[in-house]
Amino acid sequence: MNRISAAVDRFGRAVLDNIEEMGRIFILFISVLMWMVRPPLKLRLIFKQMEFVGVKSIFVVVLTGTFTGMVMALQGYYGFRMFNAESLVGSTVALGMTRELGPVLTALMVTARAGSAMAAELGTMRVTEQIDALSVMATNPVKHLIVPRIIAGVIMLPALTIVSDFMGILGGYFVGVPILNINAGAFIKNITKMVDLGDIYNGLIKAAFFGLILSLVGCYKGFNTTGGAEGVGKATTEAVVLASVSILVSDYFLTAIMF
Amino acid sequence: MSSISTEAKVGLFVLVALIILGYMSFRVGEKGFGLKKGYPVHVVFDNATGLEKDASVQIAGVEVGRVEDISLKDGKALVTLRIVPNVRLEKDVQAKIKAYGILGDKYVDIVPGTLGEAYIAVGGDIVRTEQQADIDKLLSELGTIAGDVMEVTASLKNSMGGAKGEENIRAIIDNTRAITEDLARIVRQNDAKLNLMVDNLSEASSEMRRTFATLNSIVEKIDSGEGTIGQLVENRDAFDNLNQTLVSLKGITEKINRGEGSIGKLVNDEDTVDNLNSSLKSIGKSMDGIDRYVSKSEQFKTFLSYRGEYLFDSGDGKGYIDLTIRPKEDKFYVLGLVTNPNGRLTVTDTTPAGGATARTETWERDELLFTAQIGKRFKDIALRGGVFESTGGVGVDYFALDDRLQLTFEVFDFGSDRNAHLKTYAEYRFLKHIYLSAGWDDFISNEGGDSPFVGFSIKFEDEDLKYLLGSVPMPN
Amino acid sequence: MIKLVDVHKSFGRQKVLGGINLDIEDGKTTVIIGGSGGGKSVLLKHIIGLLRPDSGQVIVDGVDIASLNDRDLNEIRKKFGMLFQEAALFDSMNVMENVAFPLRAHTKKKDAEIRQTVAEMLKAVGLPGVENKMPSELSGGMRKRVGLARAIALHPQIVLFDEPTTGLDPVMTEAINELIIETQKSFELTCVVISHDVQSIFKVGHRIAMLYEGKIVEYGTSEEIRGSSNPVLRQFLSGSLEGPISVM
Repeated sequence: MNRISAAVDRFGRAVLDNIEEMGRIFILFISVLMWMVRPPLKLRLIFKQMEFVGVKSIFVVVLTGTFTGMVMALQGYYGFRMFNAESLVGSTVALGMTRELGPVLTALMVTARAGSAMAAELGTMRVTEQIDALSVMATNPVKHLIVPRIIAGVIMLPALTIVSDFMGILGGYFVGVPILNINAGAFIKNITKMVDLGDIYNGLIKAAFFGLILSLVGCYKGFNTTGGAEGVGKATTEAVVLASVSILVSDYFLTAIMF
Repeated sequence: MSSISTEAKVGLFVLVALIILGYMSFRVGEKGFGLKKGYPVHVVFDNATGLEKDASVQIAGVEVGRVEDISLKDGKALVTLRIVPNVRLEKDVQAKIKAYGILGDKYVDIVPGTLGEAYIAVGGDIVRTEQQADIDKLLSELGTIAGDVMEVTASLKNSMGGAKGEENIRAIIDNTRAITEDLARIVRQNDAKLNLMVDNLSEASSEMRRTFATLNSIVEKIDSGEGTIGQLVENRDAFDNLNQTLVSLKGITEKINRGEGSIGKLVNDEDTVDNLNSSLKSIGKSMDGIDRYVSKSEQFKTFLSYRGEYLFDSGDGKGYIDLTIRPKEDKFYVLGLVTNPNGRLTVTDTTPAGGATARTETWERDELLFTAQIGKRFKDIALRGGVFESTGGVGVDYFALDDRLQLTFEVFDFGSDRNAHLKTYAEYRFLKHIYLSAGWDDFISNEGGDSPFVGFSIKFEDEDLKYLLGSVPMPN
Repeated sequence: MIKLVDVHKSFGRQKVLGGINLDIEDGKTTVIIGGSGGGKSVLLKHIIGLLRPDSGQVIVDGVDIASLNDRDLNEIRKKFGMLFQEAALFDSMNVMENVAFPLRAHTKKKDAEIRQTVAEMLKAVGLPGVENKMPSELSGGMRKRVGLARAIALHPQIVLFDEPTTGLDPVMTEAINELIIETQKSFELTCVVISHDVQSIFKVGHRIAMLYEGKIVEYGTSEEIRGSSNPVLRQFLSGSLEGPISVM
């Protein structure tokens, strides 16, 4: 009996902790919104974060985007060949990339690269009292550290997603047309026929949302780190896991709303 | 690379991304190019199953427009097409809904009309439509045919299947063989007789020809009025009688029209007409009632809004999150949170016995304030009352330019030790969900809290919320 | 100038401060001593508003900072400088940027002026010419000196030191102590130092307060403290295992 009640107790506490954490993240988000409208915005810091989140992620995003497009083309080809509809491979790749894989893969890659780094950097700053030092020097750490990261995330994720979409379609083209001998004209015509502007733009809205999630979670976890070097490691891991899961879960709801 | 500044790198990357986006948008958007400028044409289909907005409109496989809107009209589908400007449709064109292949998307196919016919005007109608046999109907018909075939084969099986059936069939075949054998025998034995029969037949046919000639001459005689039948057909009297009957019938209907006779009275009586009219009216009224009920439920609206304000003098930001529920057009409730970094200052003077007065300033760091208001709208003016920033107050809003512009004045926080909090601002909608505002906060403050401010807000109306609430699939 | 009135603070069930009453004198160095994990750092963080008390007041220049909002608290904080235990230099910036940080944030000085001020501050802490080094290239003692240069860059009235000599060798400890004394004199600072290093306490402190079990058990000039008969203080100063302070 005791063991059961202890288990229920633990479960209840886990649920409460999670709800509390969500609330804290939301409060952080609200304070970010408040600090965002309070000038001066430190453009130099924002650009630095944009470089870190965006420019330095180009390579990995190009790589994942291209290969995802290529493998989709290959897989799609085997399926469509059964119906003699090989030329639909292009539109499948294009729709898949613009609607789902572009935003989601980009977000996951950036989470792994930049979201984790945000958590680690802020976590280190927290445990070495650098965040306290900011406060002591009458500089609000949310404004100085978190706002630039959130802005960078929200702006750079769509930009990276555009690159990912494009590279994915290009990758699909290079597998489809020269290697699998799909008619180039039909390949491209099907893309332009089946893909709508809305597919691209909704994908980009998703990406911006994912950018918000990953930077917010990364900053939250880093900002609230406790317990020295071990704590930093834990915060980093938790940030990546929570951000990735949130991205995939919110992707379902965003898709349900938008398409 | 290190010589390139961070700003340049970021700028270059964003520029490249925008160029790619522009290129993709252009390629994808090409197909809709020029359609925006087209003119609308309406067409009514009995059934527009599967036809969707933005579906293609084609003539001979060439896209000439798009489906702009599909709505219900008198139990039929009213489809609005937008046709590119350089394509003119003749009045007798025919529209049909077709599909790409068996499972493909639906599109509207227009069969060109006669050259030289007048053209359909802008906003005009295509009159001729053809309902295409859709796949469902086809399949169901195929189903019935298959059912019939099955019945036939079943009864065949019943009569012929089994050992008995086989026996029967064998007996039939045996009989047939016997008959043909007999026939062969008869033919062989009666060869001469048969020849004679044929000769007779030939003779009979020439006799027939003669008979027909006679008949012909009789008919001609009737035609010219000879003989009794001829006279009957040609007689004028018969026609006169018929005419008279028709005339009297006409008289009766005229009488009815004038209100003579009982039927006439019934039809022409004013009361009857009034009765009829009033019953029609009452039907109309009940329809109105239904209408009102329907529009009432449509009036129920919910808004969710966020407003950020930047106060110039203090450099503070104020944030408002409001949920507005509007059960009726002229009534609404507002619930919300206000994040106010300022808090409220309370000054207390304490004078210990024999000591100097000490002044303590305490900031109530009550950063989250509440809004709970009830409001009523009279045409362009709305009055609100309730809780403003966690204190009691009233407010008035004036709406102009189709509600794009809102002028607001609020009074709240009637504390005894300070002036009431007065706030006035104007808010203007410049994009669908985005508003900009400017105004003056707390402008008779005696605590130096007065400040001009600018702000922006985002408002989601119920359409978007409905979308959010309605289309998110809920796990059971 | 700084006055703590009945300050209480608990973390969860653990009571750390249980009614602190302390007046810190202007223009003097007050050392707060006490055992490791005894709440000294927590007390220091209350003085600068990094932590807010559960109850009680922390009054700086007549204002209870415990009840201030962030903006007004930041105004008060401009009067403060603080040297953290591990210096808390921003490791993404070089020494120059670190020391210049408060100047850039709160003054409208031109770049050349800022460079000059930074050079002066570094000279004042005995580290001229290290502007372009990164914090990771510096030793612990140097980092603390850069941290001190950053803390006094805005010419604050009050400087807080969180265990300034912990983890340093005896020579460096001596050097830092000298630095604290000199800076206090030349900038006429009010200093609050947290320490458990008995050698340093009497060197730098004009006033000494003993924190034990969440309360100030003894407060006085260094002479008074030396002559105190309080058993807690006696045990702490002598480093004896016997007495009211239990180690286990």
